[in-house]
This record gives sequence, structure tokens and C-alpha cells, in this order.
Amino acid sequence: MRDPLTPTIADPDPILTAQNVTKHYGERIGCENVSFSLWPGEVLGIVGESGSGKSTLLRCLAGIDRPTGGEILFRHEEEMISLFNIPEPTRRKLMRTEWGIVHQNPRDGLRMDVSAGGNVGERLMDRGDRHYGKIRSSALDWLTRVEISEDRIDDRPRQFSGGMQQRLQIARVLVPEPRLVFMDEPTGGLDVSVQARLLDLLRVLVRDLGIAAVIVTHDLAVARLLTDRLMVMKGGYVVEEGLTDQVLDDPHHAYTQLLTSAVLAA
Amino acid sequence: MTTMLKAEGLTKQFVLHHQDSVTLPVFAEVSFSVDQGEAVILHGQSGVGKSTLLRILYGNYRPTKGHVHIRHGQGFIDIVTATPRRVLEARRKSIGFVSQFLRVIPRIKTIDIVKDPMLTRGVSEDEATHRASEMLARLNLPERLWNLAPSTFSGGEQQRVNIARSFVDPSPILLLDEPTASLDAANRDVVVDLIAEARGRGSAIIGIFHDEAVRDRVATRRLDLTAYKAAA
Repeated sequence: MRDPLTPTIADPDPILTAQNVTKHYGERIGCENVSFSLWPGEVLGIVGESGSGKSTLLRCLAGIDRPTGGEILFRHEEEMISLFNIPEPTRRKLMRTEWGIVHQNPRDGLRMDVSAGGNVGERLMDRGDRHYGKIRSSALDWLTRVEISEDRIDDRPRQFSGGMQQRLQIARVLVPEPRLVFMDEPTGGLDVSVQARLLDLLRVLVRDLGIAAVIVTHDLAVARLLTDRLMVMKGGYVVEEGLTDQVLDDPHHAYTQLLTSAVLAA
Repeated sequence: MTTMLKAEGLTKQFVLHHQDSVTLPVFAEVSFSVDQGEAVILHGQSGVGKSTLLRILYGNYRPTKGHVHIRHGQGFIDIVTATPRRVLEARRKSIGFVSQFLRVIPRIKTIDIVKDPMLTRGVSEDEATHRASEMLARLNLPERLWNLAPSTFSGGEQQRVNIARSFVDPSPILLLDEPTASLDAANRDVVVDLIAEARGRGSAIIGIFHDEAVRDRVATRRLDLTAYKAAA
């Protein structure tokens, strides 16, 4: 059909662009030539088995590890800045204020000897908030949103169950209202019932706040529930990508077919 | 007539890499277009590719060849080549898929599931609640269930939640995969009426119905896929 393909929405600029991102550990390939763009409000999933390079890629994207090659561009105040071509302190500041990282193990993301309220409030102070009353009420609000009851605000995370620790970590990451969130197996190691609550919570938060997210998971059900787009990685390479339901329901690459057919139906 | 969807040379084959890389051809060179207010029923024996075609129209399966132009806003987009964000946008506003299965996030209340597509399209909270309640009542879902999550509902109840969600504010293009399967006669009649009403409001409908009676009441036209069966 020769209809003019008139654009129906203006394409805003992406918030994050990866160009040929490559990470080698000596001879070994961590990830090779990965390119994509991510827009505000979009959730990208990265799936693959252990050793496929998905966590390596995430660490590069999040500014933790310097890639061997390629470039990572982040939009900051209308400008695309190259993440590893800026001074270390500037990058650190961006990491603290503009994006958040949810670690697989909540102990890596929480301060275990600081109260729950402190864990959340600290991030607001990083951002420049100084009013104690406001910080405490904001912290309380966030604990409620992640379904941690008010009377636990002064408890330390080590007194929490694994699921509660993970929810607290999520509150800590989201409280400064980052524009971009990275998550590494956010529901790994949790009970199925806790997982469902956490997934629902994440989905609602991502939608309501309009943040962009990159989620690494090996759980295809988690990917289906939370992500809009999917990249499938194997041996450091992206072997297939596309809309999440497309990749999972009509996989084309041999490896994706193996992944999707290997799932046990619950 | 306003064209809502135009399929061009759709060809689909599945390649199963782990089963001796066998290639399963489904159909070849399917072309048709659907206007506003039409209800096209896909026809043909089991295995002829009706569901596969419907999924391609929605962008869920990727065709081996061909294009699907759907009306979106002031123009058309090709669901086959559009970027994922564009496809998702089209699914929010212009094209909907209704199957007999409800697939939702656990823990969300029935009424909120039904309201969700309206809220996404900018309908006010009050109006969404009002219309969702009306629709659930019309589909004979007991009011005591509205504030519960549907995971514990019977199959038929879940199916009606799904139908309520899809027809409360029907998309301009509606793809229906056996939405009346396993419904009782009364509810099946409601669904037939809902389809007619959506058509009356200008929606273009493409569907699969096994029940001959329903098919006859819904269809304005049939598309037999048998003729496109690909040679193996």
C-alpha cells in the first residue's frame, strides 16, 4: 500500500544509547558489539543463561565497569554525554543522582547497619534534601509503597526477611526518582509468592514514574511480565531482539527456541 | 470506505532449529484489506494458519515475508517493520487482541483490569469506573467479584473479565481469537451484541469463531485461508 507513512508521534531522544559496547577480559569475551537505544518509559529485558554476558553488559551500561570498546551515551540536560569520556567524579555523581541500580543481593545495595528509614533517607540527603521532617515523611511514604509497615522504619535491614530487604532496596533506589534504573535479577532467590508481589510493585512503579529500566534476568516469566523489549544474549553476543512477546512467542534464533522450549509450564 | 488494515503478501513458515531444522510452511502470499465497520471471519480447517495470521496482524508473530499496514492516528504504520515502541503504541491506541484467555498481572482487582485500557487512553477515573461497572454487569459477572483479583475465578469468569476489558472501549481494529469459546448461551449473546456495537462505532473486526451460529451472526465477510495453504 502506498499510503504515506506519516509519523504519528514525535520521537523524543533516547535516554540511553549503547554503541558497539564490547568488554573483553583478556582473551575472553564478556560482551561483543552490543548496540541499542532506550527511551523514557521503556523497559528493556536482557535474558540468557549464566555466562552469556548479560551482567557484564549491565555493569558497563550502569557505569560500573569500563568497556573495552564502544560508547555509552546518556542524555543529561538535553545533551548526550559519553559515560566513560567524562571525569570519574562527574560519572559518580550521575550514578548517584540520575540512575539507580537494584542488585540481585540486597546486601550489595543496602547499608545493613543503618535503619530502614536511614537507608531510604540517606538517598534524599545525597540529593540535597536537608529538612529532617520531610525526609522522614518521604521515607515513610516509600516504605508504605513497597509494603513495609511503618513500625519497622527504625529496624535494621538484617532484621528483615529476604523479600523485605529486596523491597527496601527498591525503595532506596527509587526514592530520589531516578530517570533510569538497572536491575540485576531483581527477584532472584525469592519465594514465588514474594516474587509476584515484587513484580507487581516494580511494574506499577515503573509505569507511574515513567522511568526507563534495563532488567537482567534468566527468568522468562519475569521478562514477559516486566519488559517491553527483549535482547537475548549468548556467549557475549546479542543473538535476537525485539518486542518481548514476539521474541518469546515466535523465537527465530536456535538459542532462543531452546530457551523458550526449555521452560517448565507451571 | 475507510481502510483500517491492509495485509500484503503475508507468508509464514516456522523453522524449528532443534527438531532437525524442519521448516513448516503455513501459508503464502495472503493479501486482503478490511474497512471500517467490517467483520471478516477467517475460515479454513484446523492447521490452515488462522491463529498464526491473527498473531501476525497483531505483531506477535513475525511473517517470513509481507507487510501489515494498520491505520494509526492520521496515517498507517507497518506493524512488521515498525520499531517495538511504535508497535506498543499502536496496540495501546489502534489495535487490540482478544483471546479466550485472560493474561494479567497477579493481584490486580478485576475492576482495575477493566479500567486500565481506558485510563491509558486518557478517560477520566470516574468515567472509567462507571463504564467498567456497566460492562461487568452486562456480562453477568457478580458484583462481589469486582474488587477481587481474577486468578481464583472460574475459566468462564476470567474470560468475561477479558472480554469486558477489550470491549469497554473497543480499539479501532479488533482481532478476536475465539472469544466466545466455552461461554454459555446468554453470555455468548452479549458478546455477539458487543461485537455488533463495536462495528457500529466503526471498528474493523477480524476474527476466528468455531461456533457456526456465532460466525453467521457476526460475519460480514469470510476469508478462506485454504487457498493460501503453502506447499510443503
